[in-house]
Amino acid sequence: METQQLVTLVPWTFIATILNLFIQIYLIKRFLFKPVNEMLEKRKNLADQEIRDARNARSEADSMKEEYESNMANARAQAAQIVQDAQKEAQARADELVREAQQQVSGIKARAESDIAQEKKKAINEAKDEIGGLAMDIAGKVVGKEIHEEDHRRLIDEFIKNVGDAS
Amino acid sequence: MTFDITGAKVFYRIHTGIPFLGDFPVTETLIVSWIVMAIITALCIFLTRDLKVENITKRQAVAELLVETANNFVRNNTGGHKFDRLIPFVAALFATSVVSNLISLTGLRSPTADLSVEAGWAVVVFILITKEKIKASGIGGYLKGFTTPIFIMTPFNILSELATPVSMACRHFGNILSGVVIDGLIYWGLGLASSAILGLIPGAVGNFLKHIPILEVGLPAITGVYFDWFSGCIQAFIFCMLTIMFISNASEG
Repeated sequence: METQQLVTLVPWTFIATILNLFIQIYLIKRFLFKPVNEMLEKRKNLADQEIRDARNARSEADSMKEEYESNMANARAQAAQIVQDAQKEAQARADELVREAQQQVSGIKARAESDIAQEKKKAINEAKDEIGGLAMDIAGKVVGKEIHEEDHRRLIDEFIKNVGDAS
Repeated sequence: MTFDITGAKVFYRIHTGIPFLGDFPVTETLIVSWIVMAIITALCIFLTRDLKVENITKRQAVAELLVETANNFVRNNTGGHKFDRLIPFVAALFATSVVSNLISLTGLRSPTADLSVEAGWAVVVFILITKEKIKASGIGGYLKGFTTPIFIMTPFNILSELATPVSMACRHFGNILSGVVIDGLIYWGLGLASSAILGLIPGAVGNFLKHIPILEVGLPAITGVYFDWFSGCIQAFIFCMLTIMFISNASEG
């Protein structure tokens, strides 16, 4: 069979090789690189998507936590406020009660004092009357004659008055 | 018994009548090239069957590994994503080269043991290098580059420019051819030796046995590790490495 030289350049083989190389480039691109690169791209997108989702979930959780914490703080502040208000109200009520009690006490005391004064006056008046009668009797007995009560009433009263003033 | 080694067989000549190019020879080189292409393409199709995003098969892992290796090889040697469009080119070059080199293990003649093949590849690479150079510094800058550092250097610069594809083609071809020659020599020597040794057996038995080259089993497998496997892989790698380095350097002006 015919053979070519060991070291030779055959133009047709040369051209065919270049064409073969380009065909091989197309085939390898079409059957290896395109599908594998597409798949790798898809996988990358999937991974990115998952990272994005995880990040979103975390920020959501963070915001929820923040909200929860602020709610808790609000609740605590409100509770403190309520307690404070209650304390204030209780204090006010207690103060009012004390004040009312004092007012009542002072009212009772004033009434009692006025009662006492009236009683005293009454007693004094009675005593005055008594003393007047007694004085009249004593004077009548001393003088020996009956003293007209109406006549000397003025004098006796004056005397008792003087006595009252002096006592 | 003499030893001779020839070029690829020519199975058929298609008469074209085109001047200069002459008849189209259907050579062993071409036939085996087509077999190589068929093997590579079939492998690609096999590896990329039903790709999945998750829970990948071993087959898919291999396909991904190949693609990632090719991507990284080109990106690391050019520094960035500038030459991503060349990845299939380099991959095709490497795959064709390595399969062509190793197909000699099956007894077929390597297409790469024909200088025309490497010359074709080297010319494509040379065109790419030149294109990048012109792109980087303009056609004027490219031509002016030949006259540096002084005008007298112009012929030498042109020579060194042309030396790139010639050396790439010849390096690859020479290594593969040397493998072919050495394999041929080893088989020839072992055949002679076994014929001589077995011929010592007297009578009809020796006459029959000396036609069986028993010593050819064994030793060629060991020498083949270097001359076929190692040389074949390393030459494919060097060719691709040089391709990408030259193109990368050319683009830097």
